Amino acid sequence: MEQHPSPDAGAIGPDELMRYLDGEMTPEQRRLVESALEQSTELQRDLAVFRALKEDVQGLTFRSGPVQRSVWDDVNGSLNRPMGFAFLTVGLVIWLTYGTYLFATSTASPWEKLGTAAIAIGMLQLLASVIWDRYRDWQTDPYRNVNR
Amino acid sequence: MQRQLEIELIRKCKAGQSRFYEPLVRAYEPSGMRLAVAMMGNAEDAKDALQLAFIKTYDTLPRFDLRRPFGPWFFQILRNQCRDMLRSRKAKFNFEALDERLEQRPGDAERGPERVQERTAAKELLWKGLESIGAEHREILVLKELEGFRYAEIAQILDIPEGTVASRLYHARSALKGALSEMNAEYP
Repeated sequence: MEQHPSPDAGAIGPDELMRYLDGEMTPEQRRLVESALEQSTELQRDLAVFRALKEDVQGLTFRSGPVQRSVWDDVNGSLNRPMGFAFLTVGLVIWLTYGTYLFATSTASPWEKLGTAAIAIGMLQLLASVIWDRYRDWQTDPYRNVNR
Repeated sequence: MQRQLEIELIRKCKAGQSRFYEPLVRAYEPSGMRLAVAMMGNAEDAKDALQLAFIKTYDTLPRFDLRRPFGPWFFQILRNQCRDMLRSRKAKFNFEALDERLEQRPGDAERGPERVQERTAAKELLWKGLESIGAEHREILVLKELEGFRYAEIAQILDIPEGTVASRLYHARSALKGALSEMNAEYP
């Protein structure tokens, strides 16, 4: 910002000029700036430059692009996911408990029980290891809540 | 969106009825996308940031004071999200992608190809200028010129005292003016 020779114009700093340009002044303050503007061509020039710049930036537009899908579906999915997981977990716990009870109290031979238990434990162990790997990746993924 | 309707929707969301969040998302999506594209520089990253900002906004709705306007609060979260993403990925503002989003107005065809070319060249120059001035200057210009926020709202979004908004705008505009001068664009 250049120095303005007139005392009135000199009292108008960059902040006042911006607030005048953006319509953020009271009528009284505006009158003060306008009287300073009348006395200083430099101030007038500064204002004209900033006004032109403002209008040009306001003229920039964004095209929405071809068929921009709303983010709502993805947002909605993320908001409802925790509840889905909660239901799934509760259901699994109930079924596992009931299944274990049935298994323990069944009259099948010990060999049948042993074989079935080995398969079930092996599958659960593999599933747990996959889930653990995915969980570790998920924890460090900055885009974990982004649905694509 | 009407203030009263907005308050009612937020109240429902606070009560856990997420379906009432949809009108809010749809109302703030276009302007949110503009700010995000201006900060991130491409539509892909902007959409990710917007999505995450809407989720974070919903998660923090219980703390939202209904006496305050929703818009600036949401934009503050969105702005922080964009900054976090830019910081974490060391991503850079991508002018190329923005350039593709320059819009031709319907009247341009009637003005002849030379006029359209001139206008497009001028816009390209402006985008280049905006690209070169840095995220901090760019965001305040976008909030003021493209979104038309008042100083008080900008202060809230940027989390700065209202008294410093004019000064920040002056520096941003001066930086843009300087960048354009370096590219031999004279104002006015």
